[in-house]
Amino acid sequence: MAVIQLQDVEKVYRGKVHALRGVTIEVMDGEIFGLLGPNGAGKSTLVKILMTVIHASKVSGTMLGNPIGNRKTLKNVGYLPEHHRFPYYLTGKQVLHHYGALCKVGRKERNSRSSSLLTRLGLAGWENKKVNTYSKGMLQRLGIAQALMNNPALLILDEPTDGVDPVGRREIRDLLAELREEGRAVFLNSHLLSELEMVCDRVAIMVKGRVTMQGTIQSLTVDSQRYEIKITGEMPAWAKEHCSEVNGNMLVCKGNDPSIVQPILDRLRAENKTIVSVKPVRENLEDLFMRAVDNTDSPGAIQ
Amino acid sequence: MQFKALLIDAYRQLSAAKLFWVTVGISALVVVSFGSISFNTEGISIGFGAYQIESEQLREGSPWARGLYIGIFSSLLVNIWLAWIATILALISTCSIFPEFVHSGSIELTISKPIGRLKLFFSKYLVSLLFVIMQVAIFCTGIFFCVGFRIGEWNPMIFAAIPVVATFFSYLFAICVLIGIVTRSGITALLITGVFWMLLWTIQTSETILNRFVTQQIVDIERFDEGIITATEELDKIKSVSSEDIRISKLEKRIESFQDNSEEAAELLAELNMWHTPTSWVLALSPKTAQTIGLLDRWLSDPDGFDIAAIMSGDMREFEGEELEEFDPTTRNARERETMRRMRDDYENRPLFYVIGTSLLFEGFILGLASWYFCRKDF
Repeated sequence: MAVIQLQDVEKVYRGKVHALRGVTIEVMDGEIFGLLGPNGAGKSTLVKILMTVIHASKVSGTMLGNPIGNRKTLKNVGYLPEHHRFPYYLTGKQVLHHYGALCKVGRKERNSRSSSLLTRLGLAGWENKKVNTYSKGMLQRLGIAQALMNNPALLILDEPTDGVDPVGRREIRDLLAELREEGRAVFLNSHLLSELEMVCDRVAIMVKGRVTMQGTIQSLTVDSQRYEIKITGEMPAWAKEHCSEVNGNMLVCKGNDPSIVQPILDRLRAENKTIVSVKPVRENLEDLFMRAVDNTDSPGAIQ
Repeated sequence: MQFKALLIDAYRQLSAAKLFWVTVGISALVVVSFGSISFNTEGISIGFGAYQIESEQLREGSPWARGLYIGIFSSLLVNIWLAWIATILALISTCSIFPEFVHSGSIELTISKPIGRLKLFFSKYLVSLLFVIMQVAIFCTGIFFCVGFRIGEWNPMIFAAIPVVATFFSYLFAICVLIGIVTRSGITALLITGVFWMLLWTIQTSETILNRFVTQQIVDIERFDEGIITATEELDKIKSVSSEDIRISKLEKRIESFQDNSEEAAELLAELNMWHTPTSWVLALSPKTAQTIGLLDRWLSDPDGFDIAAIMSGDMREFEGEELEEFDPTTRNARERETMRRMRDDYENRPLFYVIGTSLLFEGFILGLASWYFCRKDF
């Protein structure tokens, strides 16, 4: 079942800036969905439309079965905005209580959930300290805890690992995997491709307000699967005819079926060529991203 | 639950501000100073007995003692401390509430919760007024006990200062909120609110000055017309006895002079009204800060007719036991007093709707604009 179903979302800001141009996205129940794109692609705008922070110029679709913009739906959605700021005068526990109460979470539940979430996010012992004493990584963890206070069915995280050290990133990845196991859907907005690749079931790539690719990483990279055969010595003359590409002493055969390289290997052996390696190769998310994005238009867009 | 969460948050935000506690401290000092004034059988004691002023009138149990004590509260503490100093401190403390609230990174966390923007806006606005309500409530409680213990009057009307001052503050705070939301800058909001307050003060002062001149001219015209009638009657009386009496020409000259003066005053009145009428309209449409605070004077006025406002303005006749003469329109001395009396009557008789209702309508308009902007804004 789809938890988010968006069709033709458009956003035009005053001054005629076309931030979103007919975005269509589907996020399924119990999956981690990654939205990636260079800075300024419209990722945060899309997320903010889902969370009613921004009004769409045109939107149709549903979130948790209700139309986009329905406030009651937000009771079951957890949200961590990018560059969030908590009131400096609150402690970690007070932050969770405050935002929990705004989500209409009862006092008893707030008490139990805040303690367990602070422990789960590695903030135990810091609950009574003012948030202005927290590091960037701790604030990010507190932000995730805040997003989980209402026990949401859908979690929307905008750059959740921003400013978090490698250990913390791993912990957040593990947490996301746990949340998926609990049956929650996670909508992850990030430009950290390696992070997304490790946790996402499906991804969408957004460029200049449009979704250019959407699906599982496997399905998106299936066309790029190939075998690379490295040999020593002179390249046989027939190689160019039987392989997709010949690159120095490397033969490239496109496809994901191992049977396609067997006749080539047999022939190479028959000609006493030394086979150094046979490697199945597939595009990673970064390759996929670079293919989708015209990188000359988006300097510094990916990390 | 959501309103309570916002209320607790506002309290935490305010109590985290040092200025809040500084203001509470100064308020406490003002209350203690007020409480240090007491009345005994010999007169008035100041500074918990440090200074003793002997007085026939200001003694324990006298209506003047009561009037003076209540008058110090309503005319000095409310008009100067609450309406100016404490309000400035409150504006400084609260000017950043809405800019902080709509700050990028902070607002997304709040408006992404299941709470309507309009409800959120007005809840935040109401809880932000908490600063003033708390300050004035603490202050009034102190004053209530001071008045109770010092003059034996447990007057609950003292607590009327809480809604009055909160309403007065809300006129200014509405502007602060609108500017704060649009500019997202506390300093800009504070400065523009200050300018707006000065503008209101200018409008109100201009209207008061013009009203005084207008009333003076009306009093003058009545005085001259009364003079003409008196002189004409006297002239008729003299003429009936002798037509060659030496006083006849004097009286005729006086009547002529009164007529000239009356015409001159009428012309001036018409000219003044050209300014006064539009100024009155502008005032009618704008928040009436001074008149709102002035409501306390009305409600706390002495039941025995003791006029603390007159004493405060330097008219000590009543205090000194002097009999107040009836208004004699032909004497110039009475002109100022009659003008002041009529003006006071005019302001005190202005209906509550005019004072508070129109001010709240203006505030509602400003808040409507601010809430519309808040609800429409893409953050």
